[in-house]
Amino acid sequence: MMSSFWALHGKEWRISLDTPLGYVVATAFLFASGFFFGKNLFLYGQADMRGYFGVLPLLLMFFTPAVTMRLIADERHDGTFELLATMPVSTLTIIAAKFAFAWGQVGLWLLMTSVYAGSLALLGDVDGGQIAAGYVAAFLLAAFYASVGLFASSLSSRSIVAYVIGFVLVLAFFLLGATAGTLPVGWQDVLALVSPLAHFDRMLRGVVGLDDLVIPLAWTLLFLGLSWFQLERRQWQ
Amino acid sequence: MPALTPGCGHQYNPPPMIQAERLTRYFNDSAAVRDLSFHVSHGEVMGLLGPNGAGKSTTMKMLTCYLPPSHGSASVDGVPLERSLEVRRRIGYLPENAPTYPDLDVRSHLVFVGRMHGLPRATLQDRIREMSDVCGIRQVLHRRIDELSKGYRQRVGLAAAMLHDPACLILDEPTTGLDPNQIIEIRQLIRRLGERKTVLLSSHVLSEVEAVCDRMMILDRGELRALGTSAELARLSGGGAGMLVRFTGDGQPAMARLAGEDDELEVERSEDGWLIRHPDPDFPLGERVFRAAVDTSCVIVEMRRQQTSLEDVFRRMTSEGEDRA
Repeated sequence: MMSSFWALHGKEWRISLDTPLGYVVATAFLFASGFFFGKNLFLYGQADMRGYFGVLPLLLMFFTPAVTMRLIADERHDGTFELLATMPVSTLTIIAAKFAFAWGQVGLWLLMTSVYAGSLALLGDVDGGQIAAGYVAAFLLAAFYASVGLFASSLSSRSIVAYVIGFVLVLAFFLLGATAGTLPVGWQDVLALVSPLAHFDRMLRGVVGLDDLVIPLAWTLLFLGLSWFQLERRQWQ
Repeated sequence: MPALTPGCGHQYNPPPMIQAERLTRYFNDSAAVRDLSFHVSHGEVMGLLGPNGAGKSTTMKMLTCYLPPSHGSASVDGVPLERSLEVRRRIGYLPENAPTYPDLDVRSHLVFVGRMHGLPRATLQDRIREMSDVCGIRQVLHRRIDELSKGYRQRVGLAAAMLHDPACLILDEPTTGLDPNQIIEIRQLIRRLGERKTVLLSSHVLSEVEAVCDRMMILDRGELRALGTSAELARLSGGGAGMLVRFTGDGQPAMARLAGEDDELEVERSEDGWLIRHPDPDFPLGERVFRAAVDTSCVIVEMRRQQTSLEDVFRRMTSEGEDRA
């Protein structure tokens, strides 16, 4: 099982490294990240990354579906899904390997932005704990977005459609968080408890509770489960 | 499974490589395959023939565990389809149109497929070398798949299906899109493979199945119409005996005499001479024609047995379906 996991995981990296799209998206993400980081540093003179992490949910909303859109949609479109599904590999392994790739790819981008954290440390006193909490939050958010994107990719055989679905789904989560203030108080509490973005915001303040880790992971597992269901469905029709 | 005990008088009969019992698959309410039962023995090349939409691909998708049957059961090498991962390990499958990863180069594609089947690194390199020689893709190993012609892609798909040296190959229309030379090469390859492996291949090209397969089955609208060797099918379809005869002159007296001998004999004049048919394939047509010619003093210059071709059988078998509908 592990060998097929690594084979599939490796294949996704190979495709990503052999096609220009991966490089274009990564460059655009790093460029946008640099812009928002620099804006806070030079315009407002803030030697922290709070401003940058603050726009991360929006940035990743545009960029993560670009990584995940092809993962299942293209397999369906090119007919290779039939090849994959008749190899000795379980649907669970397929989902796990593809998710691990997507998370790894977005995670790699985030790691690259640690250059900004390093340059801040050179400039002056920084709150290391806060930045570390920010990165934990960012990795969890990336996992959540990647799982939503993977699910979106399992819904269509056209990657552009998968991109739009993935984007709209995370946008819905984002807007729900943004309009939380207009909801009745009871609902606001529920939202604060279950919304992955609410936990992201809390972690940015440097407070990391167990629920801040568990809730985004639970959402990630839910969407991975939905993707699994979507692939297994042909078995039951 | 009974143990092989030499000298005890027990003969060990291995289970068939593929055994299907009343396989049925519905899509919504319509049956794509209905009550299909057959077996393919070890080392046999079986052809699956039928017009488009006959259920050939659906049958293959069920046997390769891509689609579960709605009813019925099947096993591969004695392993029931329910033990899906084990079945998939034993099968090399070439789906229709030979899907491959367009963004990968040929070698990476083969490495991926080999690793998915758990081939160790050293074995994998040897197998890639071997299969790329067998399928004639050595010179394109470093080319991206989306730059290859349809023929090469088909061969890459075939190499990938055979990479893990499966006991059973299931090939869905393996020669579609190939040029005539490639078709001959792939047929020879399948024939060679059939010496060691069990092959189930589908096609709507009759001559292909006739050239490559030991036995064949004809599917129409999801139902099995016939199963057997091409000779058996010809017999089964009521092809009977046929002969073409040419005389120095007209030959009319001989033919009139012959026609008078047996009510079931059909005699008709054709462009090349006289065409004589009898529903019984064992009817001694040659002898009767010769005697009739001697009795009427007609001189025969040519006598040729007419075989019922697989095309006739196929047309007859599948048009029955149309009549029924």
